[in-house]
Amino acid sequence: MESLYHIYRRRGYTRRDFLKSVLLLSAVLGFPPTSFGQAVKALELKPKPVVIWLEFQDCAGCTESFIRSTSILPSDVLLDYISLEYHETLMSPSGFYAEEAKREAIEKYKGKYILIVEGSVSPRNKGVYCTVSGKSNVELLKEAAQNAGLVIAVGSCASWGGIPHAEPNPTGAVPVSQILGDRQVVNIPGCPPISDVMVAVIAGFVITGKPPELDSMGRPKTFYGQTIHDRCYRRPFYNAGKLAGSFDDESARKGYCLYKLGCKGPITRNACATIRWNGGLSFPIQSGHPCFGCSEPNFWDRGFIYSPLSVVEGGFGWKGILAGVATGVALGAASAAINKKFREK
Amino acid sequence: MGDTTFYDLVRGPLLRFALFIFFAGISYRFFRVVFLGLPPDYAKPKGNPYYMAVKKIVIKPTMGWTFNEIFSRRAVNFIGGFLFHLGFLGLTFFVPAHALLWREITGLPIPTIPNLLGDILAYAALGSLLALTIHRMLNPVLKLLTGKDEYFANFLIGAILFTGLLATKWAGGGFYVWILSTHMLLADLLIIYIPFSRLSHFVYYFLSVGFMGWNAGKRGVSF
Ligand code: SF4
Ligand code: SF4
Repeated sequence: MESLYHIYRRRGYTRRDFLKSVLLLSAVLGFPPTSFGQAVKALELKPKPVVIWLEFQDCAGCTESFIRSTSILPSDVLLDYISLEYHETLMSPSGFYAEEAKREAIEKYKGKYILIVEGSVSPRNKGVYCTVSGKSNVELLKEAAQNAGLVIAVGSCASWGGIPHAEPNPTGAVPVSQILGDRQVVNIPGCPPISDVMVAVIAGFVITGKPPELDSMGRPKTFYGQTIHDRCYRRPFYNAGKLAGSFDDESARKGYCLYKLGCKGPITRNACATIRWNGGLSFPIQSGHPCFGCSEPNFWDRGFIYSPLSVVEGGFGWKGILAGVATGVALGAASAAINKKFREK
Repeated sequence: MGDTTFYDLVRGPLLRFALFIFFAGISYRFFRVVFLGLPPDYAKPKGNPYYMAVKKIVIKPTMGWTFNEIFSRRAVNFIGGFLFHLGFLGLTFFVPAHALLWREITGLPIPTIPNLLGDILAYAALGSLLALTIHRMLNPVLKLLTGKDEYFANFLIGAILFTGLLATKWAGGGFYVWILSTHMLLADLLIIYIPFSRLSHFVYYFLSVGFMGWNAGKRGVSF
């Protein structure tokens, strides 16, 4: 099978273009400069990665994001490079032939292929809420994961359960890692995840033969080691206490921090503030909208997209105060009554 | 437990629980006394008790303000205490993140202070707290009056001020969420602790000083 370098040349790109991409990739992955040679060699010689991409309870948004990666590899190279043996949204065969192709790929590339899962898994009622070709999603996942060289959960749904998992979670949606138990799963959360991050993790696996270094929640440390707030270009405004008061007032136009408008950047781990979106063009905060924390577990259930982080989640208000005071008054009256009784005795 | 799970816990259920305990505890202690009642007093008030109650609350903090009193004998107490209270209360209610929280809780349009002022208050509060604590440990009379309660309270408040400063002044590497959560956890503990400790003077101070003023007013004496 072709290597990345061969594809570059076949598509009419120069060696210089190839080297530029590898350099960028190494930088994004945080490789030390000394390992540049190793990366070039690996991508010149190693065959392109075989990917089996399963979709369960998803919206195909992660796929949409993936195929729009443009920073690291040109999109024509990317689509050639990742050998997608099975992908319900992107492949042309369907029905029996599609399933046959998957079975064959699993057998042929045993232990070598990368399994990517998009969407949450639903084990409830024997997995009846999500089936493909008569098999439940749990069965399909286990079957494909068994022989995979690497399992990647892309998107917040596959990583944490995501929107299907939101209250009241009618299908009993769970993350991929919960079904696979001890098996290592690389989580690339986000709704959707940044395309370049997905591509970089795959290419990094080709170069090193190992999964990236992960944090305690299975996320690659390179991309999820810091919060949006840690790297936000509006941080100086935050530190200076300059907060935009509404979406379109003078302070918003001056680019003040979006904390008051509900920014969840301080508690959200993702690479938006560094790698950004659409070829590094921009990211939500840059376009004036607060981060709503799409890459964090249960972001949907937090239910306070536009209220500032510091408010009590679920509210307290006068009702809470009155409930507290009423309890106190009742207890006070009771204890005074008891005291009085003692005194009378 | 992941850092965001912990964060959600301390700012959600735990904060709501702490606030409930705070309001219940403060009103319990107040009404326990109120319901006991005062012995009937049939004498006609000689002065104006309500006026005197308010007057006492307003002028009490300045009553010892003579030059000698402040600078020759109780400088640390006066200046430290003043700076600390100003700083701590200012920070608690008017720093933007906090003001937004109290706005949500009370529905009142609480104003916010600029960051520079917040910083000055924070350093003033932390520095004076340190000075007051050391003073407590060294001054023989204060030492006698001090129990574990005071040291614990001072430590808790110091830790809250420190973690709050860290959260705003330090980028925090990957630990920002933990720092913020620790700050909030400690604040939750403080909110629960206030009604059951001497820190409750934060509410009762006004009641007891007011009561003293009211009594003085009733008897027609001056403070
Ligand atoms: S806009 Fe959001 S992420 Fe950026 S500094 Fe403000 S709070 Fe932090
Ligand atoms: S800025 Fe926040 S909400 Fe937006 S994509 Fe990035 S992590 Fe998700």
